[in-house]
Amino acid sequence: MLITGIKSRPVYDQLVPMASGLRHIAVAQGSGGKPVLRLLAEMTAGQRASTTVVYSTESFTGNSYLSELQDQDDVELRVVATNSEALQALDDVLSTANMGTRLYLAGSEGFIGTAMQVASAYGLDRDEILREHAGSFVRRVWCAHCDTYTENVTTRVFRCPGCELDLVVRDHYSSRLAAFQGVKADGEVPGELPEIEELDT
Amino acid sequence: MTDTAVPPAFKADETYTPEGQYTFANSREGVRRLPFPFPDDEYMYSMNLEPHVPAGDGAMRAAFDIDEHYISECRHRVQMLEEMPGVHYVALPHMMEAQWDLLELLFESYARDYPEHFTLTKNGNEWHWQNRLLGIDDTFTFGDPSTLELEPMEYATRQAQGEFVVLEERDGDLVIGAGMTTQRADYSLRFNVGMRFFEFHGPVPKLHEMGILDRALKFLLRMKPGHPVRRVNWTLTVNPRLETSVETLPDWAPDRATVTDENAGDLVHLRIELQPLHRLPRSNAIVFPVRTYLVSLAELVEHAPDWAKRLHRALATLDPALVDYKGLTRYHASAVSWLAQYDDGAPLAGGYPWADGGIQPGA
Repeated sequence: MLITGIKSRPVYDQLVPMASGLRHIAVAQGSGGKPVLRLLAEMTAGQRASTTVVYSTESFTGNSYLSELQDQDDVELRVVATNSEALQALDDVLSTANMGTRLYLAGSEGFIGTAMQVASAYGLDRDEILREHAGSFVRRVWCAHCDTYTENVTTRVFRCPGCELDLVVRDHYSSRLAAFQGVKADGEVPGELPEIEELDT
Repeated sequence: MTDTAVPPAFKADETYTPEGQYTFANSREGVRRLPFPFPDDEYMYSMNLEPHVPAGDGAMRAAFDIDEHYISECRHRVQMLEEMPGVHYVALPHMMEAQWDLLELLFESYARDYPEHFTLTKNGNEWHWQNRLLGIDDTFTFGDPSTLELEPMEYATRQAQGEFVVLEERDGDLVIGAGMTTQRADYSLRFNVGMRFFEFHGPVPKLHEMGILDRALKFLLRMKPGHPVRRVNWTLTVNPRLETSVETLPDWAPDRATVTDENAGDLVHLRIELQPLHRLPRSNAIVFPVRTYLVSLAELVEHAPDWAKRLHRALATLDPALVDYKGLTRYHASAVSWLAQYDDGAPLAGGYPWADGGIQPGA
C-alpha cells in the first residue's frame, strides 16, 4: 500500500485579485491572515469596497494577523474565534451571494478542505475559488475503520480517538470528505509500526 | 479448450468469509475458462485496452460474464451490504439517470447472452424481468424509481457478478459518481466518491511517470455507446476473500503473515480482474465494472499447469514497486518459491489465452 508520493493531494494557488469578480469573499484562519493581507494590498479600492473578510483566530501555531486585518478599515471584516464558526459565516455569506462572487481561502489544509465542502454545496466552480495554504502542515484525517475525523494531526502515525487503533496517514486526499486517509498502521502484524515521522510536507 | 464448452453447474452455497470457512473452490472447467492476465513471462503495466468483443468460449464470450459462482457471489453481496450499510454501495443524488442506464445495460446483456437464465420483456416503459438463477420475477416502470424497492443500480447489481463503479464526465475529466463495490481490492468507496481520474489513480505507482493516465483518460473520453472496451488486471489475495476493502483491513491484512513456503499453494489466490468499460447512452457516464475471479495457486497447478508456470515467472520478475503497491511484500517470496516447484522452464506461448495463438491452460 502506497503511503507517500500519492498524487491526489490538492495543488494550492496563490491568492491574487480575480478581476472578473463583482463581490469578493476571503475566508482565512490563523496564518492564513498573511496571504489575505497581501491579497487586499493588491486590490483596487473598488475591489476592497466589495470585499468581505471572515477571519478565525483559531490557530495551531498561534499566529494571528487580527490587528493588521482590523487596520484595513475600508474592508468589511467578521472575526470569529473558531474555524467551525468561520465555516458557518461562509455559509451565511454564500447564501445571499450573487453571480460574480469570487472566493479566496487561506489557512491549514483541513480548513481549506472543509471550506471547499461549503463552497461546493453552493455550486461554486473551481475557477471562482483560489486557495492558498498557510501555516503548519497539520492534517485532517478520516479513519477508514470507524469513520472518525481527527483535526490537526502532525505525525505519520497517530492513535484514532474513535477506535483507538494506531493509524498511518496516507498522502491520499478526498475532497468530498476534506480529509486524508488513515488506516491501521500495524495491520499485518500487531505492534509492527512504521516510523512515526513529523508530517512536514 | 474443448472442455470449457459445457457450462459448469452453479454452486449456491460457497462462502468467501472466514466465518463461513472459505468454502469457495473452482471446478476444473471453472479454472480453464478464466481470463488469465499474463501474456508474457515478465509483467509491467500497460493500458492493454482492446475492443470488448466476444472471444473464445470462456470468460470473454459474454458482455458480462457469469460463472459457476454466480449464485454464491450474489448472496455474498447481500450479506456484505447488510453487515456494513453505506460502506459498499454509494450513489450521489444526481446519478439516477446513469443508474437506469446501467440497469438496462446489465439486464439486456444478461438476457441476450444467457437466455436460459434471464428474460427481459419490455412493453414500452413497463418492464418484466425474470432471473431464474435467483428466483426473481419482477415488473417495474423503467425510469420510475418508486416502482423498485431499491435504487435501480443497487437492484441490478445485487443480481450481477463483479463490482461496478460509475464515472460521470465533467469538464473533460471522469469523476466517481456511484459504486457497488462489495469486493473491492484495498480501497474505500466512500473516500473515493467524487474523485477525479488522476486522483483516484493516485495510489498506483509509475502510472503518472509512464504517461499511461493521460493516454487512458483521453481514450476513455472518446468512448461511444455500443463500443465497449476491456482490459484485465490482477493482484494476489490470501484466502478466497472477495471483500478486501480498506475499511476491513484489520480483519484481512493479518492473513498475509500466515503464508509459508509450504501452505502458499492453498492460501495464496490469484485475483483476476476483467474490466469491460461501457459508455452509457442517456447519462453519458462510463461504467467501469471489475469482474473478479479468484483461483488458488494449487488449483492453477492442478488444472492449468502452463498458466501456473507463467504466473511463477511473472511474479519472480515483478517490479519491487508493484510488489509493495499490491501488498505482497510479506508473502511474495513464498508464493514464488511454491510455484517454482512446478515450473520446468519450458517455453510458453505469448499473448492472452482468448487471442489467436495465446497461452492456453496446458494439459
